[in-house]
Amino acid sequence: MKIEIRNLTKRFDGVTAVNNLSLTLEGGRITGIVGPNGSGKTTLVNLLSGFLPIDGGTVIIDDTITVKKIQPHKIKSYGITRTFQDIRLFEQMSVLDNILVVLTERNLWCALFECHRPEHMQKAEEVLRMIDLWDKRDEPASNLSYGQRKLLEIGRAVSMEARVYLFDEPFAGLFPGMAEIVESILRQLRSQGCAVVLIEHDMDLIRGLTDYVFVLDSGVLLAEGRPHEVLQDRKVVEAYIGN
Amino acid sequence: MDILTQLVINGIIAGAIYTLIALGFNLIYGATKFFNIAHGVFAAIGGYTVFFFFKLSGVSLVPSILAGVLLAGIAGMLSDRLIFLPLRRKRGSSVIMLVASLGLFTALQSVIAIMFSNRFQTLTDIFNIQKTYQIFSGVITQIHIVIIITVISLTIGLFLMLNRTKFGKAVKAISDDEEVARIIGIDTDRVIGYVFFIGSAIAGLGGILIGFDTGIMPTMGMGLLLKGVIASIVGGVGNIYGSVCGGLLLGFVENFGVWKISGEWKDAIAFGLLIIFLLFRPQGVLGK
Repeated sequence: MKIEIRNLTKRFDGVTAVNNLSLTLEGGRITGIVGPNGSGKTTLVNLLSGFLPIDGGTVIIDDTITVKKIQPHKIKSYGITRTFQDIRLFEQMSVLDNILVVLTERNLWCALFECHRPEHMQKAEEVLRMIDLWDKRDEPASNLSYGQRKLLEIGRAVSMEARVYLFDEPFAGLFPGMAEIVESILRQLRSQGCAVVLIEHDMDLIRGLTDYVFVLDSGVLLAEGRPHEVLQDRKVVEAYIGN
Repeated sequence: MDILTQLVINGIIAGAIYTLIALGFNLIYGATKFFNIAHGVFAAIGGYTVFFFFKLSGVSLVPSILAGVLLAGIAGMLSDRLIFLPLRRKRGSSVIMLVASLGLFTALQSVIAIMFSNRFQTLTDIFNIQKTYQIFSGVITQIHIVIIITVISLTIGLFLMLNRTKFGKAVKAISDDEEVARIIGIDTDRVIGYVFFIGSAIAGLGGILIGFDTGIMPTMGMGLLLKGVIASIVGGVGNIYGSVCGGLLLGFVENFGVWKISGEWKDAIAFGLLIIFLLFRPQGVLGK
Protein backbone atom coordinates (compact mmCIF):
# COMPACT_ATOMS: atom_id res chain seq x y z
CA MET A 1 0.00 0.00 0.00
CA LYS A 2 1.33 3.40 -0.93
CA ILE A 3 -0.12 6.89 -1.13
CA GLU A 4 1.78 9.50 -3.10
CA ILE A 5 0.87 13.10 -2.53
CA ARG A 6 2.02 15.41 -5.31
CA ASN A 7 2.00 19.21 -5.07
CA LEU A 8 -1.02 19.23 -2.76
CA THR A 9 -2.32 22.72 -2.08
CA LYS A 10 -5.10 24.11 0.10
CA ARG A 11 -5.93 27.77 0.64
CA PHE A 12 -8.31 29.43 3.11
CA ASP A 13 -9.19 33.03 2.27
CA GLY A 14 -5.73 33.88 1.00
CA VAL A 15 -3.88 31.83 3.64
CA THR A 16 -2.14 28.79 2.17
CA ALA A 17 -2.58 26.04 4.76
CA VAL A 18 -0.92 23.33 2.64
CA ASN A 19 1.51 24.64 0.08
CA ASN A 20 2.62 22.49 -2.85
CA LEU A 21 3.24 19.54 -0.53
CA SER A 22 4.68 16.29 -1.90
CA LEU A 23 5.28 13.21 0.22
CA THR A 24 4.76 9.45 0.16
CA LEU A 25 3.04 7.32 2.78
CA GLU A 26 4.34 3.75 2.64
CA GLY A 27 2.63 0.59 3.82
CA GLY A 28 4.20 -1.40 6.66
CA ARG A 29 5.40 1.64 8.53
CA ILE A 30 4.17 4.17 11.02
CA THR A 31 4.68 7.64 9.60
CA GLY A 32 4.71 10.53 12.01
CA ILE A 33 3.53 13.95 10.89
CA VAL A 34 4.69 16.66 13.24
CA GLY A 35 4.87 20.42 13.24
CA PRO A 36 3.81 23.42 15.27
CA ASN A 37 0.14 24.39 15.57
CA GLY A 38 -1.18 25.68 12.26
CA SER A 39 1.49 23.88 10.27
CA GLY A 40 -1.12 22.04 8.17
CA LYS A 41 -1.10 18.55 9.74
CA THR A 42 -4.85 18.23 10.32
CA THR A 43 -5.56 20.04 7.04
CA LEU A 44 -3.52 17.35 5.29
CA VAL A 45 -5.60 14.59 6.92
CA ASN A 46 -8.80 16.49 6.06
CA LEU A 47 -7.69 16.69 2.42
CA LEU A 48 -6.80 12.99 2.26
CA SER A 49 -10.15 12.00 3.76
CA GLY A 50 -12.21 14.31 1.56
CA PHE A 51 -13.32 16.56 4.42
CA LEU A 52 -11.85 19.53 2.57
CA PRO A 53 -11.78 19.97 -1.20
CA ILE A 54 -8.32 19.94 -2.75
CA ASP A 55 -7.34 23.23 -4.42
CA GLY A 56 -4.36 21.82 -6.33
CA GLY A 57 -2.26 18.71 -6.75
CA THR A 58 -3.01 15.01 -6.93
CA VAL A 59 -3.15 11.96 -4.70
CA ILE A 60 -1.99 8.67 -6.23
CA ILE A 61 -3.16 5.52 -4.50
CA ASP A 62 -1.10 2.34 -5.07
CA ASP A 63 0.38 3.74 -8.31
CA THR A 64 -2.96 3.08 -10.00
CA ILE A 65 -5.69 5.47 -8.84
CA THR A 66 -5.02 9.17 -9.40
CA VAL A 67 -7.47 11.50 -7.73
CA LYS A 68 -7.78 15.27 -7.75
CA LYS A 69 -11.06 15.33 -5.88
CA ILE A 70 -11.70 13.03 -2.91
CA GLN A 71 -15.26 12.46 -1.73
CA PRO A 72 -15.61 11.34 1.90
CA HIS A 73 -17.91 8.39 1.14
CA LYS A 74 -15.41 7.11 -1.44
CA ILE A 75 -12.39 6.91 0.90
CA LYS A 76 -13.55 3.56 2.22
CA SER A 77 -13.27 2.16 -1.29
CA TYR A 78 -9.73 3.59 -1.54
CA GLY A 79 -8.88 1.71 1.67
CA ILE A 80 -8.46 4.90 3.72
CA THR A 81 -9.93 5.65 7.14
CA ARG A 82 -9.29 8.21 9.85
CA THR A 83 -9.94 9.31 13.42
CA PHE A 84 -10.43 12.85 14.71
CA GLN A 85 -8.70 15.17 17.12
CA ASP A 86 -12.12 15.78 18.72
CA ILE A 87 -13.78 12.40 19.20
CA ARG A 88 -16.67 11.79 16.83
CA LEU A 89 -18.87 8.79 17.60
CA PHE A 90 -22.42 7.80 16.75
CA GLU A 91 -23.83 8.88 20.10
CA GLN A 92 -27.35 7.47 19.61
CA MET A 93 -25.95 3.98 19.06
CA SER A 94 -24.64 1.39 21.48
CA VAL A 95 -20.91 0.67 21.68
CA LEU A 96 -21.47 -2.55 19.69
CA ASP A 97 -23.50 -0.80 17.00
CA ASN A 98 -20.75 1.80 16.56
CA ILE A 99 -18.59 -1.09 15.35
CA LEU A 100 -21.26 -3.11 13.54
CA VAL A 101 -22.40 -0.09 11.50
CA VAL A 102 -19.14 -0.21 9.52
CA LEU A 103 -19.07 -3.98 9.09
CA THR A 104 -22.29 -5.03 7.39
CA GLU A 105 -22.58 -4.93 3.61
CA ARG A 106 -24.77 -2.21 2.18
CA ASN A 107 -26.76 -4.15 -0.38
CA LEU A 108 -30.55 -3.82 -0.70
CA TRP A 109 -31.34 -6.90 1.40
CA CYS A 110 -29.14 -5.72 4.26
CA ALA A 111 -30.61 -2.24 4.01
CA LEU A 112 -34.06 -3.67 4.62
CA PHE A 113 -33.16 -6.32 7.14
CA GLU A 114 -30.26 -5.86 9.48
CA CYS A 115 -28.28 -9.01 8.89
CA HIS A 116 -25.09 -9.41 10.84
CA ARG A 117 -23.39 -12.58 9.77
CA PRO A 118 -21.41 -14.53 12.41
CA GLU A 119 -18.14 -13.11 11.05
CA HIS A 120 -19.41 -9.55 11.62
CA MET A 121 -20.25 -10.32 15.24
CA GLN A 122 -16.95 -12.15 15.61
CA LYS A 123 -15.01 -9.20 14.22
CA ALA A 124 -16.92 -6.74 16.43
CA GLU A 125 -16.18 -8.87 19.49
CA GLU A 126 -12.51 -9.12 18.54
CA VAL A 127 -12.21 -5.34 18.14
CA LEU A 128 -14.15 -4.53 21.31
CA ARG A 129 -12.04 -7.00 23.34
CA MET A 130 -8.90 -5.44 21.86
CA ILE A 131 -9.95 -1.99 23.12
CA ASP A 132 -11.29 -3.44 26.37
CA LEU A 133 -14.90 -2.36 25.76
CA TRP A 134 -16.60 -5.73 25.23
CA ASP A 135 -18.22 -5.55 28.67
CA LYS A 136 -19.74 -2.19 27.74
CA ARG A 137 -21.02 -3.31 24.34
CA ASP A 138 -24.69 -2.63 25.11
CA GLU A 139 -24.18 0.78 26.67
CA PRO A 140 -24.89 3.92 24.65
CA ALA A 141 -21.65 5.40 23.30
CA SER A 142 -22.54 8.68 25.01
CA ASN A 143 -22.13 6.98 28.43
CA LEU A 144 -18.43 6.21 27.94
CA SER A 145 -15.59 8.13 29.54
CA TYR A 146 -13.30 10.32 27.41
CA GLY A 147 -10.62 7.66 27.09
CA GLN A 148 -13.13 4.91 26.29
CA ARG A 149 -14.71 7.11 23.64
CA LYS A 150 -11.29 7.69 22.10
CA LEU A 151 -10.65 3.93 22.09
CA LEU A 152 -14.05 3.24 20.53
CA GLU A 153 -13.32 5.70 17.74
CA ILE A 154 -10.00 3.95 17.09
CA GLY A 155 -11.79 0.57 17.27
CA ARG A 156 -14.31 1.76 14.68
CA ALA A 157 -11.47 2.76 12.36
CA VAL A 158 -9.71 -0.60 12.88
CA SER A 159 -12.89 -2.57 12.15
CA MET A 160 -13.05 -0.93 8.71
CA GLU A 161 -10.05 -3.08 7.77
CA ALA A 162 -8.54 -0.24 5.77
CA ARG A 163 -5.04 -0.14 4.34
CA VAL A 164 -4.28 3.46 5.26
CA TYR A 165 -5.03 4.74 8.75
CA LEU A 166 -4.90 8.45 9.51
CA PHE A 167 -4.76 8.93 13.29
CA ASP A 168 -5.11 12.54 14.45
CA GLU A 169 -3.63 12.74 17.97
CA PRO A 170 -4.94 9.36 19.15
CA PHE A 171 -2.98 9.48 22.43
CA ALA A 172 -4.24 12.88 23.60
CA GLY A 173 -5.84 12.66 27.04
CA LEU A 174 -5.40 8.90 27.46
CA PHE A 175 -4.32 7.18 30.69
CA PRO A 176 -1.13 5.10 30.37
CA GLY A 177 -3.04 1.79 30.17
CA MET A 178 -5.21 3.06 27.34
CA ALA A 179 -2.21 4.59 25.55
CA GLU A 180 -0.57 1.14 25.63
CA ILE A 181 -3.65 -0.34 23.90
CA VAL A 182 -3.45 2.31 21.17
CA GLU A 183 0.29 1.74 20.78
CA SER A 184 -0.20 -1.99 20.34
CA ILE A 185 -2.98 -1.38 17.79
CA LEU A 186 -0.69 0.88 15.75
CA ARG A 187 2.14 -1.68 15.84
CA GLN A 188 -0.29 -4.44 14.84
CA LEU A 189 -1.55 -2.43 11.86
CA ARG A 190 2.05 -1.83 10.78
CA SER A 191 2.82 -5.53 11.01
CA GLN A 192 -0.19 -6.19 8.76
CA GLY A 193 1.38 -3.99 6.08
CA CYS A 194 -0.93 -1.00 6.55
CA ALA A 195 0.23 2.58 6.12
CA VAL A 196 -0.26 4.18 9.53
CA VAL A 197 -0.13 7.97 9.77
CA LEU A 198 0.25 9.44 13.23
CA ILE A 199 -0.21 13.14 13.98
CA GLU A 200 1.31 13.65 17.39
CA HIS A 201 2.81 16.39 19.56
CA ASP A 202 4.53 14.04 22.03
CA MET A 203 8.08 13.70 20.68
CA ASP A 204 8.86 10.68 22.89
CA LEU A 205 6.00 8.82 21.22
CA ILE A 206 7.22 9.90 17.80
CA ARG A 207 10.73 8.68 18.58
CA GLY A 208 9.55 5.40 20.06
CA LEU A 209 6.80 4.49 17.66
CA THR A 210 7.32 5.92 14.21
CA ASP A 211 9.56 4.63 11.43
CA TYR A 212 9.60 7.79 9.38
CA VAL A 213 8.70 11.42 10.09
CA PHE A 214 7.56 14.37 8.02
CA VAL A 215 7.90 17.79 9.62
CA LEU A 216 5.54 20.48 8.36
CA ASP A 217 5.80 24.18 8.94
CA SER A 218 3.34 26.71 7.52
CA GLY A 219 2.02 24.11 5.10
CA VAL A 220 5.37 23.20 3.58
CA LEU A 221 7.59 20.20 4.13
CA LEU A 222 10.43 21.28 6.39
CA ALA A 223 12.20 17.95 6.85
CA GLU A 224 11.74 14.21 6.50
CA GLY A 225 13.57 11.07 7.53
CA ARG A 226 14.15 8.74 10.48
CA PRO A 227 12.73 10.24 13.67
CA HIS A 228 16.04 10.30 15.62
CA GLU A 229 17.78 12.18 12.83
CA VAL A 230 14.95 14.51 11.87
CA LEU A 231 14.10 15.58 15.39
CA GLN A 232 17.71 16.71 15.90
CA ASP A 233 17.72 18.71 12.68
CA ARG A 234 18.51 22.32 13.49
CA LYS A 235 15.70 23.66 11.24
CA VAL A 236 13.18 21.40 13.00
CA VAL A 237 14.36 22.36 16.46
CA GLU A 238 14.06 26.03 15.56
CA ALA A 239 10.65 25.72 13.91
CA TYR A 240 9.02 23.23 16.21
CA ILE A 241 10.71 22.36 19.41
CA GLY A 242 11.90 25.88 19.89
CA ASN A 243 8.30 27.06 19.54
CA MET B 1 -71.92 12.09 27.17
CA ASP B 2 -69.23 12.70 29.80
CA ILE B 3 -67.27 15.82 28.87
CA LEU B 4 -64.04 14.55 30.44
CA THR B 5 -64.07 11.34 28.41
CA GLN B 6 -64.78 13.33 25.26
CA LEU B 7 -61.93 15.71 26.03
CA VAL B 8 -59.56 12.75 26.38
CA ILE B 9 -60.78 11.33 23.05
CA ASN B 10 -60.44 14.74 21.38
CA GLY B 11 -56.96 15.10 22.85
CA ILE B 12 -55.93 11.73 21.42
CA ILE B 13 -57.39 12.58 17.98
CA ALA B 14 -55.67 16.00 17.86
CA GLY B 15 -52.46 14.43 19.18
CA ALA B 16 -52.58 11.76 16.47
CA ILE B 17 -52.99 14.40 13.74
CA TYR B 18 -50.08 16.49 15.08
CA THR B 19 -47.97 13.35 15.45
CA LEU B 20 -48.65 12.48 11.82
CA ILE B 21 -47.02 15.75 10.70
CA ALA B 22 -44.31 15.75 13.37
CA LEU B 23 -43.12 12.20 12.52
CA GLY B 24 -41.96 13.09 9.00
CA PHE B 25 -40.75 16.53 10.08
CA ASN B 26 -38.58 15.06 12.84
CA LEU B 27 -37.24 12.31 10.60
CA ILE B 28 -36.03 14.92 8.09
CA TYR B 29 -34.78 17.30 10.78
CA GLY B 30 -32.82 14.48 12.42
CA ALA B 31 -30.92 13.81 9.19
CA THR B 32 -30.52 17.38 7.92
CA LYS B 33 -30.66 19.61 11.01
CA PHE B 34 -32.82 22.28 9.43
CA PHE B 35 -36.47 23.26 9.83
CA ASN B 36 -38.05 22.16 6.56
CA ILE B 37 -40.98 24.57 6.22
CA ALA B 38 -41.85 22.97 2.86
CA HIS B 39 -42.87 19.85 4.82
CA GLY B 40 -46.35 21.33 5.27
CA VAL B 41 -47.00 21.69 1.56
CA PHE B 42 -46.34 17.97 1.00
CA ALA B 43 -49.41 17.30 3.13
CA ALA B 44 -51.40 19.51 0.74
CA ILE B 45 -49.88 17.70 -2.26
CA GLY B 46 -51.08 14.36 -0.83
CA GLY B 47 -54.58 15.71 -0.23
CA TYR B 48 -54.92 17.36 -3.65
CA THR B 49 -53.57 14.31 -5.50
CA VAL B 50 -56.37 12.22 -4.00
CA PHE B 51 -58.80 15.03 -4.78
CA PHE B 52 -57.64 15.04 -8.41
CA PHE B 53 -57.61 11.28 -8.99
CA PHE B 54 -60.49 10.14 -6.82
CA LYS B 55 -62.93 13.01 -6.98
CA LEU B 56 -62.20 14.64 -10.33
CA SER B 57 -60.93 11.71 -12.44
CA GLY B 58 -62.93 8.84 -10.97
CA VAL B 59 -59.95 6.63 -10.12
CA SER B 60 -60.75 4.23 -7.29
CA LEU B 61 -59.81 5.07 -3.71
CA VAL B 62 -56.80 2.86 -2.95
CA PRO B 63 -54.80 3.76 -6.11
CA SER B 64 -55.64 7.44 -5.49
CA ILE B 65 -54.33 7.27 -1.93
CA LEU B 66 -51.22 5.41 -3.10
CA ALA B 67 -50.67 8.07 -5.77
CA GLY B 68 -51.07 10.81 -3.17
CA VAL B 69 -48.54 9.26 -0.81
CA LEU B 70 -46.13 8.49 -3.65
CA LEU B 71 -46.38 11.95 -5.23
CA ALA B 72 -45.83 13.69 -1.88
CA GLY B 73 -42.78 11.45 -1.32
CA ILE B 74 -41.38 12.10 -4.79
CA ALA B 75 -41.98 15.86 -4.40
CA GLY B 76 -40.06 15.74 -1.11
CA MET B 77 -37.22 13.75 -2.63
CA LEU B 78 -37.03 16.12 -5.61
CA SER B 79 -36.97 19.13 -3.29
CA ASP B 80 -33.88 17.62 -1.69
CA ARG B 81 -32.19 16.76 -4.98
CA LEU B 82 -32.87 20.11 -6.64
CA ILE B 83 -32.67 22.57 -3.75
CA PHE B 84 -31.44 21.27 -0.41
CA LEU B 85 -28.66 18.94 -1.62
CA PRO B 86 -26.97 21.69 -3.70
CA LEU B 87 -27.27 24.02 -0.69
CA ARG B 88 -25.74 21.37 1.61
CA ARG B 89 -22.88 20.92 -0.86
CA LYS B 90 -22.27 24.67 -0.75
CA ARG B 91 -22.29 24.35 3.05
CA GLY B 92 -25.39 26.55 3.28
CA SER B 93 -26.33 27.35 6.88
CA SER B 94 -29.54 26.05 8.43
CA VAL B 95 -30.98 29.59 8.13
CA ILE B 96 -30.38 29.56 4.36
CA MET B 97 -31.99 26.12 4.13
CA LEU B 98 -34.98 27.34 6.17
CA VAL B 99 -35.46 30.37 3.91
CA ALA B 100 -35.16 28.17 0.81
CA SER B 101 -37.77 25.78 2.23
CA LEU B 102 -40.08 28.73 2.95
CA GLY B 103 -39.68 29.83 -0.67
CA LEU B 104 -40.45 26.32 -1.89
CA PHE B 105 -43.47 26.12 0.39
CA THR B 106 -44.88 29.39 -0.98
CA ALA B 107 -44.19 28.44 -4.59
CA LEU B 108 -45.80 24.98 -4.34
CA GLN B 109 -48.76 26.34 -2.38
CA SER B 110 -49.32 28.89 -5.15
CA VAL B 111 -49.12 26.18 -7.83
CA ILE B 112 -51.77 24.14 -5.98
CA ALA B 113 -53.99 27.25 -5.69
CA ILE B 114 -53.56 28.01 -9.42
CA MET B 115 -54.45 24.42 -10.36
CA PHE B 116 -57.35 23.84 -7.96
CA SER B 117 -58.39 27.36 -6.80
CA ASN B 118 -58.19 28.67 -3.25
CA ARG B 119 -61.57 27.26 -2.35
CA PHE B 120 -62.11 24.79 0.42
CA GLN B 121 -62.78 21.32 -0.98
CA THR B 122 -64.08 18.14 0.57
CA LEU B 123 -62.34 14.95 -0.44
CA THR B 124 -65.16 12.45 -0.24
CA ASP B 125 -67.66 11.01 2.14
CA ILE B 126 -66.17 7.53 1.75
CA PHE B 127 -65.39 7.65 5.45
CA ASN B 128 -68.79 8.41 6.86
CA ILE B 129 -67.95 11.10 9.37
CA GLN B 130 -71.49 10.96 10.67
CA LYS B 131 -70.89 7.37 11.72
CA THR B 132 -69.72 7.42 15.30
CA TYR B 133 -68.59 4.84 17.79
CA GLN B 134 -69.19 4.96 21.50
CA ILE B 135 -66.12 4.67 23.74
CA PHE B 136 -67.13 4.74 27.40
CA SER B 137 -69.23 7.88 27.49
CA GLY B 138 -67.50 9.62 24.57
CA VAL B 139 -67.85 9.32 20.81
CA ILE B 140 -65.34 8.98 17.98
CA THR B 141 -65.81 9.02 14.20
CA GLN B 142 -64.65 6.38 11.72
CA ILE B 143 -61.98 8.59 10.12
CA HIS B 144 -60.56 9.46 13.53
CA ILE B 145 -60.15 5.77 14.28
CA VAL B 146 -58.38 5.37 10.92
CA ILE B 147 -56.07 8.30 11.78
CA ILE B 148 -55.20 6.88 15.21
CA ILE B 149 -54.53 3.38 13.79
CA THR B 150 -52.38 4.93 11.01
CA VAL B 151 -50.32 6.92 13.51
CA ILE B 152 -49.75 3.86 15.73
CA SER B 153 -48.75 1.76 12.68
CA LEU B 154 -46.42 4.47 11.34
CA THR B 155 -44.74 4.96 14.71
CA ILE B 156 -44.14 1.22 15.08
CA GLY B 157 -42.97 1.05 11.45
CA LEU B 158 -40.52 3.92 11.92
CA PHE B 159 -39.27 2.42 15.19
CA LEU B 160 -38.58 -0.88 13.44
CA MET B 161 -37.00 0.87 10.46
CA LEU B 162 -34.65 2.94 12.62
CA ASN B 163 -33.67 0.15 14.98
CA ARG B 164 -33.90 -3.06 12.99
CA THR B 165 -32.71 -2.14 9.51
CA LYS B 166 -29.34 -1.18 8.14
CA PHE B 167 -30.98 1.80 6.47
CA GLY B 168 -32.24 2.95 9.87
CA LYS B 169 -28.76 2.65 11.35
CA ALA B 170 -27.43 4.73 8.46
CA VAL B 171 -30.09 7.38 9.19
CA LYS B 172 -29.06 7.39 12.86
CA ALA B 173 -25.39 7.63 11.91
CA ILE B 174 -26.13 10.62 9.64
CA SER B 175 -28.25 12.18 12.35
CA ASP B 176 -25.31 11.90 14.78
CA ASP B 177 -22.52 12.97 12.44
CA GLU B 178 -23.01 13.20 8.70
CA GLU B 179 -19.30 13.64 7.94
CA VAL B 180 -18.26 10.57 9.91
CA ALA B 181 -21.11 8.61 8.35
CA ARG B 182 -19.54 9.40 4.98
CA ILE B 183 -16.08 8.15 5.86
CA ILE B 184 -17.44 4.81 7.00
CA GLY B 185 -18.85 4.43 3.50
CA ILE B 186 -22.46 5.61 3.82
CA ASP B 187 -23.66 7.49 0.74
CA THR B 188 -25.26 10.19 2.86
CA ASP B 189 -26.74 12.14 -0.06
CA ARG B 190 -28.65 9.08 -1.20
CA VAL B 191 -29.82 8.15 2.31
CA ILE B 192 -30.99 11.72 3.00
CA GLY B 193 -32.87 11.61 -0.34
CA TYR B 194 -34.72 8.50 0.88
CA VAL B 195 -35.38 10.18 4.23
CA PHE B 196 -36.99 13.09 2.39
CA PHE B 197 -39.10 10.59 0.43
CA ILE B 198 -40.29 8.76 3.55
CA GLY B 199 -40.85 11.93 5.61
CA SER B 200 -42.73 13.71 2.83
CA ALA B 201 -44.80 10.59 2.01
CA ILE B 202 -45.88 10.48 5.67
CA ALA B 203 -46.84 14.17 5.43
CA GLY B 204 -48.76 13.33 2.23
CA LEU B 205 -50.63 10.56 4.02
CA GLY B 206 -51.37 13.03 6.81
CA GLY B 207 -52.80 15.51 4.30
CA ILE B 208 -54.99 12.80 2.78
CA LEU B 209 -56.40 11.63 6.12
CA ILE B 210 -56.96 15.19 7.33
CA GLY B 211 -58.62 15.86 3.96
CA PHE B 212 -61.05 13.02 4.59
CA ASP B 213 -61.70 14.43 8.05
CA THR B 214 -62.02 18.19 7.59
CA GLY B 215 -61.38 18.88 3.88
CA ILE B 216 -58.52 20.48 1.99
CA MET B 217 -57.29 23.95 1.06
CA PRO B 218 -54.03 24.99 -0.64
CA THR B 219 -53.09 26.85 2.57
CA MET B 220 -53.71 23.84 4.82
CA GLY B 221 -49.98 23.08 4.99
CA MET B 222 -48.90 26.01 7.14
CA GLY B 223 -51.39 25.37 9.93
CA LEU B 224 -50.48 21.68 10.01
CA LEU B 225 -46.78 22.44 9.85
CA LEU B 226 -46.93 24.88 12.77
CA LYS B 227 -48.70 22.35 14.98
CA GLY B 228 -46.29 19.63 13.82
CA VAL B 229 -43.31 21.85 14.64
CA ILE B 230 -44.72 22.68 18.09
CA ALA B 231 -45.24 18.95 18.70
CA SER B 232 -41.65 18.29 17.58
CA ILE B 233 -40.15 20.96 19.84
CA VAL B 234 -42.30 19.97 22.81
CA GLY B 235 -41.46 16.27 22.38
CA GLY B 236 -37.81 16.73 21.39
CA VAL B 237 -36.84 18.00 17.97
CA GLY B 238 -35.29 15.34 15.74
CA ASN B 239 -36.60 12.56 18.00
CA ILE B 240 -39.17 10.23 16.40
CA TYR B 241 -40.58 9.19 19.78
CA GLY B 242 -40.65 12.86 20.74
CA SER B 243 -43.12 13.37 17.87
CA VAL B 244 -45.62 11.05 19.54
CA CYS B 245 -45.01 12.47 23.00
CA GLY B 246 -45.16 16.10 21.81
CA GLY B 247 -48.16 15.48 19.54
CA LEU B 248 -50.20 13.89 22.34
CA LEU B 249 -49.14 16.48 24.93
CA LEU B 250 -50.08 19.30 22.55
CA GLY B 251 -53.41 17.62 21.70
CA PHE B 252 -54.30 17.18 25.37
CA VAL B 253 -53.18 20.65 26.48
CA GLU B 254 -55.11 22.28 23.62
CA ASN B 255 -58.31 20.35 24.31
CA PHE B 256 -58.25 20.54 28.08
CA GLY B 257 -57.20 24.21 27.81
CA VAL B 258 -60.48 25.12 26.10
CA TRP B 259 -62.61 23.07 28.46
CA LYS B 260 -64.06 26.12 30.19
CA ILE B 261 -63.24 28.81 27.63
CA SER B 262 -63.83 29.48 23.93
CA GLY B 263 -62.32 27.08 21.39
CA GLU B 264 -60.70 30.06 19.66
CA TRP B 265 -58.06 29.98 22.40
CA LYS B 266 -56.70 26.69 21.05
CA ASP B 267 -53.92 28.23 18.96
CA ALA B 268 -52.98 30.68 21.71
CA ILE B 269 -52.70 27.76 24.14
CA ALA B 270 -50.59 25.75 21.65
CA PHE B 271 -48.13 28.60 21.13
CA GLY B 272 -48.13 29.36 24.85
CA LEU B 273 -47.03 25.76 25.42
CA LEU B 274 -44.30 26.24 22.80
CA ILE B 275 -43.01 29.40 24.53
CA ILE B 276 -43.01 27.67 27.93
CA PHE B 277 -40.93 24.81 26.51
CA LEU B 278 -38.55 27.14 24.67
CA LEU B 279 -37.98 29.07 27.90
CA PHE B 280 -37.72 26.23 30.40
CA ARG B 281 -37.04 22.99 28.51
CA PRO B 282 -35.82 23.81 25.00
CA GLN B 283 -34.65 20.22 24.45
CA GLY B 284 -38.27 19.02 24.78
CA VAL B 285 -39.67 16.21 26.93
CA LEU B 286 -37.47 13.45 25.52
CA GLY B 287 -34.51 15.50 24.29
CA LYS B 288 -32.70 14.73 21.05
